[in-house]
Amino acid sequence: MKILSKRAFKACAGGVAISLMTLQLGGTAFAQDKVSVEWWHAMSGRLGEIVDQLIADFNESQDQYEIVGVNKGSYAETFAAMIAAYRVGQHPTLVQATERSFLTMLYSDAVVPVGELMEQQGYEIDWDDFVGPVADFYIVDETPAALPFNSSTAILWYNVDHFRAAGFDKPAETWQELETQLYALKEQGVTDCSMALAGDFIWSMVEGYSAINDYPYATKANGYGGLDTEYIFNTTPVVGQVERMKKWVDDDVLQIAGQGLSPTQLYTSGDCSTYIASTASHAAVESGAEFDWGATFMPHEEDVAEPKNSNIGGAALWVLKGKSDEEQAAAAAFLDFIAKPETQAWWSGETGYVPVTNAAYELMQSQGFFDEHPTREIAILQLTRGEPTENSRGFRFGNSDQTFAVMNEELQAVWTGQKSVQEALDASVSRGNEILRAYETLHAGK
Amino acid sequence: MLASDAITNREDAATRPPTGFKAWTRRLVPVASDAGLKSAHFRKPGIAVWLLAPQLLILLFFFFIPSWKALSLAFVQVDPFGGTVLFVGLDNFTRLFASASYRSSAVLTFWFTIIQNVATLSIAGLLAFATDQVIRGRFVYKSVILLPYAIAPVISGVLWAFLFNPTVGPMAQFLHSLGLPWDPNRRPFDAQVLITVAAVWKHVCYDYIFMVAALLAVPQSLIEAAALDGARPVRRFFTVSLPIIAPTIFFLVVMNFTYGLFDTFAIIDAVTKGGPGGATNTLVYKVYQDGFVLLDLGSSAAQSIILMALAIVFTILQFRAIERKVNYQV
Repeated sequence: MKILSKRAFKACAGGVAISLMTLQLGGTAFAQDKVSVEWWHAMSGRLGEIVDQLIADFNESQDQYEIVGVNKGSYAETFAAMIAAYRVGQHPTLVQATERSFLTMLYSDAVVPVGELMEQQGYEIDWDDFVGPVADFYIVDETPAALPFNSSTAILWYNVDHFRAAGFDKPAETWQELETQLYALKEQGVTDCSMALAGDFIWSMVEGYSAINDYPYATKANGYGGLDTEYIFNTTPVVGQVERMKKWVDDDVLQIAGQGLSPTQLYTSGDCSTYIASTASHAAVESGAEFDWGATFMPHEEDVAEPKNSNIGGAALWVLKGKSDEEQAAAAAFLDFIAKPETQAWWSGETGYVPVTNAAYELMQSQGFFDEHPTREIAILQLTRGEPTENSRGFRFGNSDQTFAVMNEELQAVWTGQKSVQEALDASVSRGNEILRAYETLHAGK
Repeated sequence: MLASDAITNREDAATRPPTGFKAWTRRLVPVASDAGLKSAHFRKPGIAVWLLAPQLLILLFFFFIPSWKALSLAFVQVDPFGGTVLFVGLDNFTRLFASASYRSSAVLTFWFTIIQNVATLSIAGLLAFATDQVIRGRFVYKSVILLPYAIAPVISGVLWAFLFNPTVGPMAQFLHSLGLPWDPNRRPFDAQVLITVAAVWKHVCYDYIFMVAALLAVPQSLIEAAALDGARPVRRFFTVSLPIIAPTIFFLVVMNFTYGLFDTFAIIDAVTKGGPGGATNTLVYKVYQDGFVLLDLGSSAAQSIILMALAIVFTILQFRAIERKVNYQV
């Protein structure tokens, strides 16, 4: 009640001030009345344009607050910039952080849980309406720590023309059959590049692989059971998966895109027949691919009868501490705007990210969006497939970005032939566990 | 007249008992030096302090404060947000020395700086020597060699990455046509060659300017005398010019080491990002990667301390070892 009356008072005072100023200055000082807050995000290229549109829409929708979007580069660069700024008190109010840094952000002592903020500012958000795996990931002790903004999952993209030329309808459902197809594409001379390897392949080909096939990735329910979790993916069929990838790399079936060459371009240019990447690649594929393209579910192992849900990716919006009540109110208003089904549906439709609330999903269904764009529904169907298990519900590891970088380095050593697959995975696990222990020591008792 | 007035005024001021700020500044300079040779130039220490101030301020902000920050972080484990700080003693250092990736990074940096140094100096020396022999179009020749210095390191890195990209790069295609399996994204040696070539290319012009200037300073009479004695250009270079330009070469050796150790960061970042598999992760790139990408601030600070100590020890050794053999009297 108190908050509401304060807000009402502010609105009144603001209104009076504005009308006075319009009388005196003809409305020139209008913008100064707005509370302006910064939002640091990692959306560039086509996605950056869509974010700018989103911000413009919000700023036009009301006259109290103004969001200023700042692109700080990649997720890692945005994160590093945010931390550097936080240490000297120059941080933005809102920041977009990838799902991988969830635990790091959660226990950083630098964030205001979004659930608490929305309650304080008098907004009601139906958190139960968020789609299962997304909610399960971001909600801790029934309070959402961050607002899921751009959620995604990896899907299998393919070149329909290539598959048709090789005599296939579409990619097979199991890794074993897909392997036969990829080699056939190569041997029949349809392509020199049967598959392009995305930069974040560990997310899809290792973590996602473990979730879909229901293999444990770490102890303690992949980190959900406590900070004393330990990686164990060097003892699961992940070893076989990486060995298969190594074979493909050696046989030139799988192309590693390196510095200066994006794997998305290898696919959209029509060079590579398949590409395993986020559903958010829709923005780039739809605008860039000049061939008959298609997408389908991620493959699974042939001895797995019922594949599970895949892991989520993308990022969430966090509200940082140390900001005034007004700035927090502005952040809350923006988050409320984003959580609206209409905004969600628009954002999902433009980008290819999954709609994060059931309301938005239903709205898109009722608009017939998925009938026109069937590949857009793959991600959400794959994310909500089956009953989640401890192995598939998600990953919660401290400083997971560090482990991700370590694994990237180790697996590169596999492609270059410096290490065997088992050696590299063992090294990843032992180095990863050191990172987990360091995190546990620093955050004991949380 | 005016000048002598100034001198008498200064002496007056110096004989007066110092008070206030002057007294304070005076205390900064040892009293014993009043009688010494150097004190004669600064009877009023205030001027000395003011003259030194800009340099001291720069050192304070760009050396002492960062060094202090690095020192204070090197012995702790810290949550990147600064919330929790745990004192861990020498743990960060022992962890580093135990880590295989740090050792391989050190070995790589060692070879990289040495090869880069030798290659840059020889190419720059050759080009500078050739400058003397070029008669027509000397200006064009010099300008072309100086061009790379005007290009930002990141841009040159991107250019090299593109030229040698195994899929689209024209140079890579040329190498493939020779039957070489060139692929810096997969073959560590190729990546190392690529960053070395890019680093040398970027720095040759710097060494070249100094070498040309040094060669110009070689007295023409000596060269002519040698020529009369029947020495050919190459012989004249090695027996007459080279000993005379030795101080410049020594200076360039130190500068090249500094460049190789610290300034190749942008090139590595643009060309390989330390990959593949950490094959081009030099010590300075590792500081950045561990600190800013992996947010392991303690380890990153410990690495900078080691790097700083290395640079200090290295410079002292260099001066001690080489100074005696270099003839500074030209």
